[in-house]
Amino acid sequence: MGHRSYVGQSPPRREDPGLVAGAHRYVADIVVPGCLDAVFVRSFEAHGLLNAVDLAAAQSMEGIVGAYSAGELPDLPVTPAPPRAEVPPEMSWPALARDRVRFAGQPIAVVLAADRYTAEDGAELVFADIDPLEAVIDPGPAASDEVMLFEPRSNVVSVREFGAPVDDVMDSAPVVVETIIRNERLCPTSIETRGIVVVPDGDDITVHVSHQAPQRLRQSLARSFGIEAELVRVIVPHVGGAFGAKSQTYPEYIVIAHLARKLGRPVRWIEDRREAFAGATHGRGQTQRLRLAADREGNLLALEALVDADIGAYPHTGEFIAANTGWMLSGPYTIPHLHVRVRAVVTNTTPTAAYRGAGRPEAAYALERALDRLAHRLGADPAELRLRNFIDRNEFPYRSPTGAVYDSGDHAAALRLALERAGYDDARAEQRRRRTTGDGNPLGIGIGSYIERSGGQEGSTEFGSVTIEPDGTVVARSGATPQGQGHATAFAQVVASALEVELDRVSVIQGDTDEVPVGVGTFGSRSMQVGGSSLHHAAHDALEEARLRASAHLEVAEADLRYDDGRFTVVGTDRSVTLGQLATERALSAQAEFGPPQAFPFGTYVAVVELDRDTGDISLEKLVAVDDCGIVINPKLVEGQSVGSIIQGIGQALYEQVVFDEYGQPLMSSLMDYSLPTVAELPELVLDQTVTPNPNVPLGNKGAGEAGCIGTPPAIVNAIVDALGGRDEGIDLPVTPEKVWLVLSRSD
Amino acid sequence: MFPSRFDYSAPDSLDEALATLGQRADETKVLAGGQSLIPLLKLRFAAPATLVDINRIPGLDVLEESNGHLRIGTLARHNQLAADSLVGRRYPTIASAAPQIADPLVRNLGTIGGSLAHGDPAGDWGSVMLALNAEVVVRGPTGERRIPIDDFLVDIFTTSLNEDEIVTEVLVPQPEGSFGGAYLKLERKVGDFATVGVAVHLELDGDTIARAGLGLTAVGSRNIKPTNAENALGGNKCSDELFAEAARLAAEAADPVSDVRGPATYKRAVVEAYVKRGLAEARDQARARAGRT
Ligand SMILES: Cc1cc2nc3c(=O)[nH]c(=O)nc-3n(C[C@H](O)[C@H](O)[C@H](O)COP(=O)(O)OP(=O)(O)OC[C@H]3O[C@@H](n4cnc5c(N)ncnc54)[C@H](O)[C@@H]3O)c2cc1C
Repeated sequence: MGHRSYVGQSPPRREDPGLVAGAHRYVADIVVPGCLDAVFVRSFEAHGLLNAVDLAAAQSMEGIVGAYSAGELPDLPVTPAPPRAEVPPEMSWPALARDRVRFAGQPIAVVLAADRYTAEDGAELVFADIDPLEAVIDPGPAASDEVMLFEPRSNVVSVREFGAPVDDVMDSAPVVVETIIRNERLCPTSIETRGIVVVPDGDDITVHVSHQAPQRLRQSLARSFGIEAELVRVIVPHVGGAFGAKSQTYPEYIVIAHLARKLGRPVRWIEDRREAFAGATHGRGQTQRLRLAADREGNLLALEALVDADIGAYPHTGEFIAANTGWMLSGPYTIPHLHVRVRAVVTNTTPTAAYRGAGRPEAAYALERALDRLAHRLGADPAELRLRNFIDRNEFPYRSPTGAVYDSGDHAAALRLALERAGYDDARAEQRRRRTTGDGNPLGIGIGSYIERSGGQEGSTEFGSVTIEPDGTVVARSGATPQGQGHATAFAQVVASALEVELDRVSVIQGDTDEVPVGVGTFGSRSMQVGGSSLHHAAHDALEEARLRASAHLEVAEADLRYDDGRFTVVGTDRSVTLGQLATERALSAQAEFGPPQAFPFGTYVAVVELDRDTGDISLEKLVAVDDCGIVINPKLVEGQSVGSIIQGIGQALYEQVVFDEYGQPLMSSLMDYSLPTVAELPELVLDQTVTPNPNVPLGNKGAGEAGCIGTPPAIVNAIVDALGGRDEGIDLPVTPEKVWLVLSRSD
Repeated sequence: MFPSRFDYSAPDSLDEALATLGQRADETKVLAGGQSLIPLLKLRFAAPATLVDINRIPGLDVLEESNGHLRIGTLARHNQLAADSLVGRRYPTIASAAPQIADPLVRNLGTIGGSLAHGDPAGDWGSVMLALNAEVVVRGPTGERRIPIDDFLVDIFTTSLNEDEIVTEVLVPQPEGSFGGAYLKLERKVGDFATVGVAVHLELDGDTIARAGLGLTAVGSRNIKPTNAENALGGNKCSDELFAEAARLAAEAADPVSDVRGPATYKRAVVEAYVKRGLAEARDQARARAGRT
């Protein structure tokens, strides 16, 4: 039987011709006749009493169709709380500020005109009367409640604990290292900013939006406006990046949908870059205090982590992302005692939400930095220290002390491969030579081992359906909506392999709730693991149904049928029937909503850096990434995910940081201020893999979208600290040349 | 980030451009490459009533040697200067700086005249021209002026150009003897404005420094010419000690502020390191040139 499988192959990406030709259409390209352009007026104060919003001048300006603040829109819904986050009702996020502003960039008013030029002219005429209040920027001070955002409620929104206090172990442990880490805020910075067009038609609304989870957005809009979900159609056109920050329902979306419904006219809002920095959610933003205890041989005894997550002015997705950090803090190691406390704290800054990695980079960075401190203290090789403490490959499935169940793994193998690909021993020899002779720039080698979690929320499913058309083509529908990853290519591979038909026969439909009413979305490295598995199951079910029909149609037992390339043949005869023929009289289709357990991809990154003695300039010479995401369906797509995610990891390690001044003013308002790396900042990259199949899904795959930004920062920063001989005072994220120079100049 | 309303004219002669500019000079802006002006308009930091686009005026992009100078037309694009073979052979400081400015997209449009007229202390050309003792040629309603670059650059975003004048070209003295030059730029990432930039130009007579020119980027309210350092070098023989002394003096002349690109002390230290390196590199180039002739 000629079994056709596309698993493990890299056919040309179906998405590319349109991208290369500039033919793809994004939200801003959608032309709806009569559509109004909306521009938001945003708070210039980080914290203040909003006394009045004067709209008169804007309202009377020629060309302005309307100008509104919360006062003009009494029945404007609040921003709906995201699933899973703990949002006390009194802390809910108004779609337009009412009485109080809590971060600079918060929408206060909205102005509508036939074009954006006019709308911006109108927005300039809106005057907001704000009495400033003291702002609190840092989660540590914010937690003390001296300045409150929501009196009388504490700024501490939630406290989550894992394990029990470990003070007794700390007190008696032979070695304890302590470290305070600031995991800075980052801006997700997709090239395409947010954007939404809402077209009303009677009670129906059609929403074109750049989004990761259209089905969820549909439900949330329907709930907000108290209408049936059937009345809301959400369509996601091509998306130019999302990175977790486009999976939410934002205040702006509520305002635009509300106005479109109220006026009975199409309204759109296309975010500009300045708004994307101040008004869209940020990622990361944690202060972590770690204590790691070990015996003198380097066997880990206990870990304590006190994490303050700065979740910005209104609790949103950031509230539970902090919990992910706690959940993942024991990493790939056997740590007998663990205590993690995660506090989610509001501050007068932009709210936080998911950003690629979403909690795992924060965990991996803290743990890997602490491990290197421990290695330095013990005089141990950091690679040896990790090998000594990895969970053994025979211990999987492994229940971590935080309660996560790691499906499978061989961490030592990944680390050894990474060392080999990095030329670890040679690099160490060169480092010794430079240190003894004093010539050449300081050289450092750093390791970042990680384990992450893919699949999204435990038990969450994804919708997949497979329909065989009478002409023999196959249509796959998935709730996993892409943002540029290449789902249409990879999902077709899964379905064509399951049906054993030619790849070209399979087309993939996603991102339109009329076509795919049910679904969860693309985030948490879940699309192939969860969505791909569902399609695999649906395809198999469709094939089984076809086999039943073929047996009836050809009047033979199933055992007498041979299946090959979309055709059932009665063994030993030339009597046959095709899939298409079997779908002619009755629709031939199957669907699945599979919800496998979470998976735990892992790997090790090794970075080699050189420092300029005089200027502290950091030259990232080499980065080796060994990832294990189980069976790889499409190597090219996984490579693309790795490279993109690694660049973002390099960004966090060396370049990116959202900075607010003490008054809560964002100092980053454009890509001139916010230092976003590009391909020019890529070092020599070595990508390699180990393959430990996921036992819980049919194709053995695990998530592959986020590893790079998890493994990269600790590897790079550990390398820098290694080059500095272990001195890490002031070496905070992002590690910029002047921080390195300060350490170098202190020692001279 | 859409600009306010403005009128737009694109004359094809300098006289016409000057006439339009002269009508309401205080509310009119010259548009060259647009790489600084357009962002300002989009951010609504500037809202001129009229833009006079000079890109259609012929002859403003000359690039040739004549009368002891390299004439660089105001519309010479950064990329044109990066790719030009005459510049590559004879003006190493320019050739070294040009490809370090911004990114290829900006370099394709941004002009030398626009860069100087913008008066951004973080602009790279100002320092290069200070090191080379260039002059800026400007035309106004009453005729032409030649302004030494050190007088042209006044303060942050401020030059001695009058509102009704247009920069037409930049004149760079031709180098003499054996010469060398370099532009050293510390940037956070490729395409970024300088954290610190240092322009160096040396002319040697044997091993004696006949002329030394220096310029510093992003360490003051305008590009800085560290004349004490230049004077210390002039007339003396090349040596590491001399270079170290000049570097120290240059760092003293720098007046940086602490910002997102780093603290002032750090920027000063980078000036010192880069002046030392730049001088050594310029010297090596000059020696190599002397060896060839
Ligand atoms: C992303 C980005 C990165 C950049 N990075 C750098 C960098 O690293 N280093 C650097 O040096 N620069 C950098 N720049 C600025 C760039 O070099 C600009 O090209 C330059 O500053 C202005 O030149 P322009 O021709 O674009 O001038 P325009 O933007 O057209 O004009 C700038 C100003 O000069 C005036 N002007 C222009 N021409 C004349 C003239 N002939 N007579 C009188 N007035 C005139 C205009 O009225 C305006 O006020 C960057 C710009 C961008 C957008």
